[in-house]
Amino acid sequence: MTNSIGELQGADVLLVTGSNTTETHPQIARNILEGVDRGAKLIVIDPRKTELARQAHVHLALRPGTDIALVNGIMRSIIDENLADDLFISMRTEQYEKLRDYLFRLNLDEIAAITGIGLSTIRKAAKIYARSSNAVICYCLGVTQHTCGTDNVQAVANLAMLTGNIEKAYGGVDPLRGQNNVQGACDMAALPAVLPGYQGLDNIDARRRFQQVWNCDIPQTPGLSLTEMTHSGAEGDIRAMYIMGENPVLSDPHLKRVETTLKQLDFLAVSDIFLTETAALAHVVFPAASFAEKGGTITNSERRVQLCRKAIPPIGKCRADGHIIMELGRRLNCPGMDFTSNAEIMEEISLLTPIYGGMHYDRLEENWGLQWPCWNRDHPGTKFLHKHNFTRGKGQFTITRHREPAETVETKYPFTLVTGRGSYHHYHTATMTRNSRRLVREYPEALLEINEKDSRALQLQPGEPVEVHSRRGSVRVKTVVTDRVQPGTVFTSFHFWEVPINQLTVDAMDSRSKCPEFKVCSVNIKKVSHA
Amino acid sequence: MRDVMTICNYCGCGCGVYLKVHNNTVIGSYPSRHHPISRGNLCSKGWHLHEFVHSSNRLTQPLLRKSGSLTPVSWEEALDYTAKALLTAKEQTGADSIGILSSAKCTNEENYLLQKLARAGLGTNNIDHCARL
Amino acid sequence: MLDLNEMILPKDNLTPLLRKLAKDARLIAPIKNSYGDTLFTVIDDIDKAAIDLENQPQASLKPYLLPQQETLATYRNTEGGYIFAEADEEPESIYFGVRSCDLTAVLYTDLVFSRPVKDSSYFKRRNKSLLITIGCNHPFSNCFCEASNSGPYLEYGYDLQFIDLGDAYFVSAGRRKGLDLLEKWLYFFRAVTDSDREKRYQLQLEVRGKFTQNIQVSQVCQLLQDHEVDDSIWRKLSGRCYDCGGCAYVCPTCTCFSVDDAAIDENHGLRLRSWDACTSSGFTRMTGGHNPVDRRTDALKRRFLHKLKYDYAEHGKPSCTGCGRCVDICFGGVDITTFISLAAKGETV
Repeated sequence: MTNSIGELQGADVLLVTGSNTTETHPQIARNILEGVDRGAKLIVIDPRKTELARQAHVHLALRPGTDIALVNGIMRSIIDENLADDLFISMRTEQYEKLRDYLFRLNLDEIAAITGIGLSTIRKAAKIYARSSNAVICYCLGVTQHTCGTDNVQAVANLAMLTGNIEKAYGGVDPLRGQNNVQGACDMAALPAVLPGYQGLDNIDARRRFQQVWNCDIPQTPGLSLTEMTHSGAEGDIRAMYIMGENPVLSDPHLKRVETTLKQLDFLAVSDIFLTETAALAHVVFPAASFAEKGGTITNSERRVQLCRKAIPPIGKCRADGHIIMELGRRLNCPGMDFTSNAEIMEEISLLTPIYGGMHYDRLEENWGLQWPCWNRDHPGTKFLHKHNFTRGKGQFTITRHREPAETVETKYPFTLVTGRGSYHHYHTATMTRNSRRLVREYPEALLEINEKDSRALQLQPGEPVEVHSRRGSVRVKTVVTDRVQPGTVFTSFHFWEVPINQLTVDAMDSRSKCPEFKVCSVNIKKVSHA
Repeated sequence: MRDVMTICNYCGCGCGVYLKVHNNTVIGSYPSRHHPISRGNLCSKGWHLHEFVHSSNRLTQPLLRKSGSLTPVSWEEALDYTAKALLTAKEQTGADSIGILSSAKCTNEENYLLQKLARAGLGTNNIDHCARL
Repeated sequence: MLDLNEMILPKDNLTPLLRKLAKDARLIAPIKNSYGDTLFTVIDDIDKAAIDLENQPQASLKPYLLPQQETLATYRNTEGGYIFAEADEEPESIYFGVRSCDLTAVLYTDLVFSRPVKDSSYFKRRNKSLLITIGCNHPFSNCFCEASNSGPYLEYGYDLQFIDLGDAYFVSAGRRKGLDLLEKWLYFFRAVTDSDREKRYQLQLEVRGKFTQNIQVSQVCQLLQDHEVDDSIWRKLSGRCYDCGGCAYVCPTCTCFSVDDAAIDENHGLRLRSWDACTSSGFTRMTGGHNPVDRRTDALKRRFLHKLKYDYAEHGKPSCTGCGRCVDICFGGVDITTFISLAAKGETV
């Protein structure tokens, strides 16, 4: 996020796109609603009528996969109404004219047809957004999990720059991060193409520094992304894997391919707190300590690096992952694997990662942690990003064009399946939540959300299970009739191993972010015959 | 009963939560009132954060596949076996035939160590995690 | 009712008294920790404990008297059948610095767990507790105990009540245990003078004018006795309830619980009791899947009417003690004070 979570409630307009915020980020939704109660206007872009959409002043229920067309339509309306922030555009951005000319070439009626949203609604949203002096855009995986995910994000950035809603306390663009430490895992370069702190593998100064501290050479060719590894197939280049605390057998798209890849490996080691579907395929399984059994830091969605504290000793023979990695590192003759505390590891991180330069345990112990960038010991941390300039200098407008998702509905597969997190009570592949008594009670099984109209057409009884087919597989799942989804669209979660919905999803991905298209897949729904 | 301040293990909001500890058992989760995110409340997952810690399904000992099935072994055996297998892969099919998946559920320090192990120990940039999922 | 015994404790004698008390029992008091939160904490070393009587403890006594998760019994499967063992005994505990609202909540909880039979697990702890309250001279920003008739000073129910007179505490004994304690440590106290009484009276008058919340609790309780609340209010509230259960968990009078059996291994297990929330849909869902309470519209209806209508009818007092803990923590901004103000505006039929 460029903003802090607490800043959201001070905004005049909150535009939430591709995020079921009340269920996935309850505390952020709380701030959004506090803002609404203070008079802020709320615009929600989501194919589903989420809880937040019900509270919105404008809900843009677009056809899945048409975000770019919609945002382009909003921008065109803003320019038509003369509401663009010309001063900001001239001071802080470049290549605006190209985008403007492109937007003028658009046919707005076509945009209404593509998105399925009436022009007057698009114009209303555009006016609300552009007339405010402090507007925040929050987006989540509903924007990124598309083949055009990178362009979706660029479109959102265009919109924010067009109205100058960036670089201030109550305005900005805020991607909401899913997992507790997905931000930190990225910061620490658990990524194939960068070194910690997003320093390029080809950054000569950074490389020199790392090689000096690590006392070894660092490979320069970017590595493979997660889906490239797990989809490499039986004859793929990947022969051995070490998987720490992830469950790709349930979470990745096109599961059969993942399973094939993992089963054909010469060696697979998994470290986890439960025997996940992935761990069950491993040659070696390490019992990891849970969060309650170890210390360390994690970084939240607003870039706040916070200390976690050990509450109890590891249960059974469990060990913290850090401990396991260092034991392996010593056996592999990896240099510098002899840290005696997390504080010592953080000292090395601060040394090599400029944005973490001032993160020291004694400072993190006070004031609820620090937000990066925090360049040195005296730096107070950063509440919002891009004050005075963007990371690359001037913000660049880039034209984004609508293109249809990898798979579109057709006679044989007439429904669009959207997947995501399905309730307040579960999380990702539910390895933790399904081991929590109360959460299991509250949401015991997978449900397919289906509109009443479709349910009637299929002659379904309430709760009746159906078979969902795609070109890649089929699952059986109970239905729930709801107006959360529009006719022609169905939704379910990937929390339940009994309903491995990712056997159905497409493995098409964004060519740049490698983010799979989980949000659009064509399926057919069949009544289960009573045999 | 002790209260141990830590950060919730579920989503990217990062709530400050007290784990209530009695006889080395976590028996409760309670929000911090002054923490800037939790501000005195947690979501349903956060309020039941402690429940999975002591689940009887937890893995409690290292396992090694022996004649087809995962069998409890000592830490030494599991670690030695793993190190040897990774070294063999590196020697026979090259460092880039090894893939490492790190975790958005683990700490910064652990993620840092694992990418260091991949880059400095094994010599590959094949490291990623589920940021895109 | 016992004879009221009133004494004065000079402030200099507080630590020496607490030191003595901590020898006989587990002493629990509000401690402000390094993160700025004030929590009831077991005091191991009285000289190091920063007892905080300035801020409201962020949790009531509920985590101690009715823990979030407690072991009711353990079971073992042997060749001779199942063997059950009750959970461990609890230590004698003295709670110091309890707020009036929280003491009132304990009295209510006592009632709930007494009928129809005494709940042995609750009273195992309750019977071994001695409660020392501190009268509130400065209501906190979300408090409305006066409106719900639960403070700021109490007339009964406590073992001892402390009122801060500035340089000394005005100490009243309410129940036998408190009187015994006063008698045992009499040498720390002095007799009450007329000027002490006058001071106490003046403080009590002053604090009444300090409440910032004007919550019309009793008016709404009265109103609910013979009026239905308009459905639009329930829809408005339920549409913003995100089922976190937070209001029930922080509430000192919410006593809903569930009992589960948790296996330790094949032959051992625990019978656990843990906090539950009536707003959760699973709380009323039956085995066959039928749920008599439709979450979308009725989640909060049951909760608020229980506190303000049914308990008022039964006890002449709502089971909301005005502690204010649920205020401002609700994700959707629909806490009990929101409901009271909507209902007070006459949106009833």
